[in-house]
Amino acid sequence: MTPPPDTPPDNGFAPLDLDGLREMARVNRLDVAAMFMAAGNGHFGSCYSCTEIVTALYFAVMRVDAARPDWPDRDRFVLAKGHAAPTLYSALIRRGFFPEGWIHEFETRVGARLATHPSRRSQPGVDSSQGALGHGLSNACGMALAGRLDGRDYRVFAVLGDGELHEGSVWEAAAFAPKHRLDNLVAVVDRNGLCVDGRADEVLPLEPLADRWAAFGWDVVEADGHDLAALLPLLDVPRFGGSGRPRVVIARTVKGRGVSFMEDVRGWHADAIAPAQYAALRRELREVLR
Amino acid sequence: MSLLDHPDRLREHVAAFRAARPREDVRARFGASVMALLERRPDAVAVTADLMHATGLARLLPRFADRLINVGIAEQNMTGVAAGLAACGRLPVVCGYAAFTTLRAVEQAKVDCAYNDLKVILAGLGSGLTYGVGGPTHQTYEDVAIMRAIPNMVVVAPADPVELGHALDAAADLPGAAPVYLRLGRGPEHVVTPPGAPFEIGRAIRLAEGRDVCLVAHGAMVMEALLAADLLRAEGIAAEVLNLHTVKPIDRDAILTAAGHVRAMVVVEEHSVIGGLGSAVLEVLERGHAFPVVRIGIEDRYPPTGPTPELREALGLCGPHVARVARDLLR
Repeated sequence: MTPPPDTPPDNGFAPLDLDGLREMARVNRLDVAAMFMAAGNGHFGSCYSCTEIVTALYFAVMRVDAARPDWPDRDRFVLAKGHAAPTLYSALIRRGFFPEGWIHEFETRVGARLATHPSRRSQPGVDSSQGALGHGLSNACGMALAGRLDGRDYRVFAVLGDGELHEGSVWEAAAFAPKHRLDNLVAVVDRNGLCVDGRADEVLPLEPLADRWAAFGWDVVEADGHDLAALLPLLDVPRFGGSGRPRVVIARTVKGRGVSFMEDVRGWHADAIAPAQYAALRRELREVLR
Repeated sequence: MSLLDHPDRLREHVAAFRAARPREDVRARFGASVMALLERRPDAVAVTADLMHATGLARLLPRFADRLINVGIAEQNMTGVAAGLAACGRLPVVCGYAAFTTLRAVEQAKVDCAYNDLKVILAGLGSGLTYGVGGPTHQTYEDVAIMRAIPNMVVVAPADPVELGHALDAAADLPGAAPVYLRLGRGPEHVVTPPGAPFEIGRAIRLAEGRDVCLVAHGAMVMEALLAADLLRAEGIAAEVLNLHTVKPIDRDAILTAAGHVRAMVVVEEHSVIGGLGSAVLEVLERGHAFPVVRIGIEDRYPPTGPTPELREALGLCGPHVARVARDLLR
């Protein structure tokens, strides 16, 4: 990625290499756990399935500037599965958008800066308040369209849950983006396979998912959503790429990834965590790189 | 015998009153107003859901093809895309039917626009009974109640096609980051607003002075309130007429000033009596008013279908009924 000449210094930030990204993903999971421990519970499963996706975007792919959260040429990020906000919060903290101390007020008091779902009202660097499912892809389409109308070279990234794809409004947006040739738009489906009530495909079938997106006119790619090396080239679409097609990355992920007793367990969608479990979680995450 | 009690003379009088105020088509004026806005504001974008022709926007196409976004029959995406455009510095004007803009996509209006602090103009045509023949799927009498309950949402119901143009411009230039719901009609409506009349969002317009009763209205019911005031004059009753075009933020001063000198108030609206303009006025008066306030609106049931003028008359949303209610209140 060659930044344009007016790209600001961004507090001296340099994109991380693969080892750096893996370490950052580990830090992200620990940050998220600290937030949920303070709150007493949280969407562990949903956060941990998109850790690598969000980490790759914020630490290697996206052009953002912590010193200027409103920089008009920044890449945009929409967390359509807003309940994974703590993953985004950690990225924004570690990227310098807001102070580390905010971790400790996650959901802990009236008026806390960080709540269950992201809000652009109180959180610098958050481009779009989300939380109700099925909204984010439409919002991202509008952002990408604005970029095209204004001749700006920013890209727009939206992370959607696979259960979220049950919402009909997602498919309204899925039909819209190819029609407007929004090749500055990347949708990532966090395909962790679980929704609140169980297997997403048993609650309402999603397959053949890649075929569905392809039929709508998207450039469909698939990857292991925890494999940073595989994700990076798929996410980093060229600015003014000219493919004419929006990209969807179907990222095969595991809910609760990184913590053995949470992996692929429905109950960890949003569950309370006991101190002993928290200790076990921290032990596992500390050992990841050793 | 009084005019109000003499059907033939009343009919003639009403016909003459209406004839003196020619009608203009809401859709045609809306399309022209959006066109003018796109000319004036390079950041403006029109977004619609397969209602380009029905909202009078088709005329934009030759000049503004790139700034007229037709999302197809997909109102949720329409409002969501508009919010994304606004988040990146554009001024989107969502052009749809009131029923679908406010009910089908209400969560997008709340979350994507209002909660996200984004200036999106949500124009809803066909509100009230102005798609009367369409029946309850298209008649829209819940929209004011719903939209004004959303924090950070501005709600404006212009009185006629001329005021519609003023309201659209005022919404576009309104400082701050609040979406604006423009509640609009659909077919021909009488014009009561002089061209170039001052218009400010949040400031009611006093169209007639009177110290006996205050008639409060918005949208097409302003015309009916003026007619009622005219009929009351023949009865020796002086009626103040307030065009309360902005339901939110409501003009408390105008209401409280009127409350200081009248003996009764009648609110008439083409909306459910639950939660609309009448409710908003009563909320202002909830402390200490000592006179009757009567709301004339659509009762809590599905109205019949029918052509708009006849339907309004059948439901009492017309000058003679408003005048009778006011007269009875003062007896």
